[in-house]
Order: sequence, then C-alpha cells, then structure tokens
Amino acid sequence: MKQTFARALSLVVAIALAGPAVAQDTIKIPNIIELSGGGATVGTNWKNGSSMAVEEINAAGGILGKKIELMFVDTATDPGKARAGIQRAIDDKPIAIFGPIYSGSVSATLQMTNEAGIPQIIGGEAGNLTTQGSKYLFRTSFGQNVSMPKIANYIRDGVKAKTVSVIYVNNDVGKGGRNAITKEFESRGIKLGADLSTEAGQADFAADVVKLKAANADAVFVYLNEEESARFVIEAKKQGLDKPLIGETTLLGQKVIDLAKEAANGVKGHVGLTVDAPIPAVAEFAKKFQAKYNYASDHNGIKGYIAPYMIKAAAEKAGKLDAKAIVEALHGLTISPDKTPGILIEATWDETGEIDRISFLAEVRGGKQVITETLPKLKK
Amino acid sequence: MTWSRLQVPVLVVTVLLLILLPVDMTGIEIPWPGLRSYGSLNLTRWLVIAVAAMGVNLIVGYAGQETLAQAAFFGIGAYLTAIATKAGIPFGLAFLGSAGLTFVIGIVLGFPALRVQKHYLAFVTLAFTIFVWLVFRNEEWLTGGVSGIQGITRPSLLGLSLRPPLYFYWFTLAITAVLMCLMWWLIRSPWGRAFTALRENAIRAESLGIDVRGYKLLAFAIGSAYGGMAGALYAPLVGFIDPSPFALAPSLLFMLMVVVGGSGTLMGPVIGAGIAVLLPEWLEVASSKITSPVLQHLFSYLLVYALIVMVMMAFCPTGIVGLVQRIFTPKRRPHADDKGPTIGTATIPARGKP
Repeated sequence: MKQTFARALSLVVAIALAGPAVAQDTIKIPNIIELSGGGATVGTNWKNGSSMAVEEINAAGGILGKKIELMFVDTATDPGKARAGIQRAIDDKPIAIFGPIYSGSVSATLQMTNEAGIPQIIGGEAGNLTTQGSKYLFRTSFGQNVSMPKIANYIRDGVKAKTVSVIYVNNDVGKGGRNAITKEFESRGIKLGADLSTEAGQADFAADVVKLKAANADAVFVYLNEEESARFVIEAKKQGLDKPLIGETTLLGQKVIDLAKEAANGVKGHVGLTVDAPIPAVAEFAKKFQAKYNYASDHNGIKGYIAPYMIKAAAEKAGKLDAKAIVEALHGLTISPDKTPGILIEATWDETGEIDRISFLAEVRGGKQVITETLPKLKK
Repeated sequence: MTWSRLQVPVLVVTVLLLILLPVDMTGIEIPWPGLRSYGSLNLTRWLVIAVAAMGVNLIVGYAGQETLAQAAFFGIGAYLTAIATKAGIPFGLAFLGSAGLTFVIGIVLGFPALRVQKHYLAFVTLAFTIFVWLVFRNEEWLTGGVSGIQGITRPSLLGLSLRPPLYFYWFTLAITAVLMCLMWWLIRSPWGRAFTALRENAIRAESLGIDVRGYKLLAFAIGSAYGGMAGALYAPLVGFIDPSPFALAPSLLFMLMVVVGGSGTLMGPVIGAGIAVLLPEWLEVASSKITSPVLQHLFSYLLVYALIVMVMMAFCPTGIVGLVQRIFTPKRRPHADDKGPTIGTATIPARGKP
C-alpha cells in the first residue's frame, strides 16, 4: 500500500507540476485532437498539417516576433478525455486552442472555451456546433449547414433530380449530414427515395445497392467515409446502378479514386476543401506535405495547416498576442492569400465562427477529380 | 504488522489526503500548490470510474461471475441522469433512479444469463452491451442518437453550485466514500460471505444451504447498480454524453482495471481505475515535456501504458493489491506453524498471528 500510495502521490505531483511555465519568447498553442482511437487518421493529418504551418511561421520570424510551439494532447476519440484535455489547456491560459476535430468532442468542450474566453479553432463539421451560443468557436471547414444547401442546389439545378436516395454512415457526422440534406431537399421540393443507414467500416454494400435500385430515385447522395465510399462505388458499378452518384468532398477525394479505380469515374458532387483544388497554393501545399510526410494529405491536413495562419493573421490585425483580442479580430475577418499565403484560399469568418470561402463542383473523369465549376463565397 | 491491520488507518489517511490534495496550501506554510482544474477533473474521473469498477469487482472478484456489461449499465445511469436532469428532475432523484433502474435491469438480465457459466455468461453480457449501445445510438427521440445529449448541468448542494471542478470533486469523493463503505460492509456481511462461498465452490456452497442462484443474482444486480450510480455521476461531470464511452471496449477496460488492481480486494478496483485513468494522463503529460523527438517516440504514452499493463499481468497476476500484500505479509512457509505444533516446540503462536 505504501508503495502504491507513493506511486500515486508522485503521479499526482507530476500532474500538478505538469503545466510548463510559458517561456518569454515562445507562445504555446495546445492541440487537443484525435491521435488514437477511431479518429486517429484525422487527428494525425491535422497534427502534421499544423506542425508544418508552425515550422514555416517560425522560420519566417514567428507571430509578432514570438515563436510558436504546438503541444499535442490525445483525446483518444473520447469526448470525456477531450474535456480533460481542454481543461488542461485552459489551465495554462493559452492564446488559442486547436481541436478537437470530431464533432462530438467539440460539442463536449465548446462551453468550456466559451467560459474561459479562449478561441477554439475546430475541425468539426456538424451543423449544430455554431448554434450553441459560443462566441469563441471558429471553423476551419464548412459546417453541414453551409455545405448541404450547396449540394441541394446542385442536385436541383445541375443534376435536375426530383427524387434522391440517401446513403450515409451512422455516426455523428454522417447522421447530422443526412438530417441536414433531407431538410434541404424538403425545402426545395425534392422527394426522398431510399434512406439507408450504414455502419462505419462496413465491407459489403450489396444489399444497400439492391435497395437503392428498387427505390429508383433520380440520383443517390452518398455520405460515407473514404474506404466505405470506394466499396460502395465498386458495388454500385457491379450491380449496374445507373443513376448519378452525388457526394460531398469525401466521395470525390483522391483516396476513393485510388481505391475504386475506374468505378469512381462519373461520380459527381460538391468539394469544400481538397488537395485537388485547382489553386496553385493548394497544389503547392499538397506537394510539400507529400514530401515531408511521405503520404498525401486529406482535407484534415489542410484544416490543421490553416489554423496557425488564422491565429497569425488575427494576432497581426489585433497587434497583440492575446486570446480576447484574437477573437475580436477573427470575427468578421477576411484572410486573403495575398497577405497570408498560408491561408491557401481566401476565407471569411462571421460572428458565430462560421467560415465562408469558395468551393467547387467536381466530377471524376478518367481517374482524376475534375473541377467543373467554382462556386463563389456566399457573401461577397 | 499485517496487511489487514494496516488497512483501516491507511484508508483514513488516504481519504484525508484526497480531500486536501487539490487545495492550495501555500497560504498556511505548507509548500503544496494544490491542483488546477485539470487535476481535479481527472481525480473526479478516476473516482467515477472506480465506482463502476467496484461493481465489476463484486461480480467478478467476490461472486466469481463474469460481466462485460458494466459499460452498458454505466451508460444507462448516465443517460437516465442526463435525460432526467434536463427535464428538471433533481440530481438526487436521478441518481437514486439510476441505481434502482440498473439494479432491476441487472436482475432481469441476470435471471436468464446466470444459468450459464464463465465464457457463456461473458457472451450473454457482451450481447447485452451491444444491444444497449444500439439503443443509445438509434433511439434518437430519447438519447439524441449519435449526436448525444449536450449541456448536462451539474447539481447544486444546499444552494451551493457544484460547477467548479473542485467542489464537484469533493462531492464525488463523498459519494465514492459512502459507496465504498457500503461495499466494505456488504462483503463482510453474511451476503458477502455467501458470495465468496459460491466463488470458491458453488456446489459446496449449495450443499451448505446457500441459495446459489439468488446470491448470484444479488451480486450481479448490486454490481450493476454501482455501474449505474457511476454513470449518474459521469453525466454531470462530462456535461455531454454520446454512445461511444458505453460501447464494448470500455467494458473490457473495466475488467482490466479489476484484474490489474487486484480482483476480490476492496482497494483493487480503485487502484485499477487509477491506473486506467490517471496513469495515461500522467504519461501523456510527461511525454509532452520531452523535447527530443526520438525520445518522445520511445516514450509514446500508449506504448508505455501497454508495456506496464503487460509486465504487471506477467509478474503480478494477483494485481497490485496482491503484490503489496505479498510484500507486507511475512513469509512463513519455511516454518511449519500452519500445520500446528511440532514436537519439541515450546511456544505455539496463535493462528493468524506472526
């Protein structure tokens, strides 16, 4: 018992002393992200992206003369652990907190940063995150409340579908997306065909494709993770499902194309953020990322990459490295690549932390994502 | 000094230290800065998980049954409390309701499940966990589905809000202490003796007139109720619940805690929960302070954590409490005093005394 107790005590002492003193000329920014568990891929992309950005910023002299140092805390894709991680970060009173990326973990933590008055730069895309009254939340990618109306418009005007079937992955993001898109369909008079829930990691989509064929809607909206998207697309081709397959970002990503090969050809949809975007800065980012980490970044890598640049632009506008000042500067701020090349694509944040920037309509042709149309920002 | 004599004073001192641990005492000339909110939050998580593990310990360590359903009961308690407190029902009622509901579900599940033994029992409880998880996930009207339930508020006690992490820690500590005393009383009561009897040899226990089925059910239901009460504390602690912490993997983790800590001992699950909750946090904090990237990879907390657990399983299968007991209990095997007096010895030590 003595031994155990001594061990426990030393452990607790270590926890107590863990908050490292902030050195004079480095600014610490904690990243509370998914480095193990179900979200490990997503979190690792974010970690690599943000690390790369910070290296660049530091090499160019830092932010307002101060070097940035990132700290990484693993949430293990568990909202409870995310909360502990955010609390640990808040105790140090940082100028900003990055993460989490999974919407569930963001939901669990956004009130904490709101109370502490620290900007939280998140990767979560669930629509309801920005409606919970936090003044300190900032997205790095479209919420479903922005991307789904764009998709619905495209289905109505581009695809001209009257009925649409939906197949989605049953987790917080997939279900949230499904709810958002069906609402948009309703308001546009588009009828819902089959409404299919699938599991994360599902291997066999044969039965789902049979149901989709039976429903015979004008188009199918596919909202699955990368691997599952590829499996689904292959199965749809095999069974001769000849309706247009419409997706959001993931379905048109390089990973799906690599996995599904020619079966991916003909897939269409909306792309919010992608390394395949026809923008030189993004292509340059993709090349640097590939060279540094030896694999291709996904959109989470880009989200992580722009987060430090958001802080840089906001702090430079505010003229000081202070949490409250950064938040004030970020609300209504438009960051353009002319002044801050690291932002990649011009983006604007509104009072709720929602991001606005251009996005793309694309199609997979000959094993490549081809951008067919660039959609303007919602507000000019 | 034997272990059993040390137990009570050590326990009292530990509880006192736990009360004072997060408090800043530099004001009264003691060089202890206390813990920040992060420390209090983690200690609270530890206590909550320990309560659930205590339930598993009753079922596994004392009654000799298996359960992979503790995360499900933990979840039922958490969801019930979340839904009830959001509907304006006071926390106290929600807490008791969680205990009652999980007790009843424990009996209902245990009635058919406890007819089978060992692995089969584990499978039945495993199926139950998956079933409950699916309910949490799919019954959106009740549980919020995969989006979970947000904004669960912490209760107040006699007009004092328990929102600050320190107050909620003390509150949880008090409840944990009460539940621990109850458990201590239970395993020393005739019921507890009966549990142990059926763990050691169910047939012999039955031949001594113990209603084996009834006691198995009772152990299972009480253990499950501990899971429910832990869940009731977890909901206001985290403030947000979704189905993921109540899936199968955490159920396995509860078993691991009990085995690592020392199954069939009072302190075992508490120490096991500490290892499952506090050790990873500490390792992560420690590894984040290492600046050399090579060392940081070596010190990757998941790696170290896994190694510690494996070494512990290999070298002290009786858990940490078993290890400590071995250290504190004098070796007496070379002397034959367990076999009673031998010819030529003048003094015969009384049984149980060194």
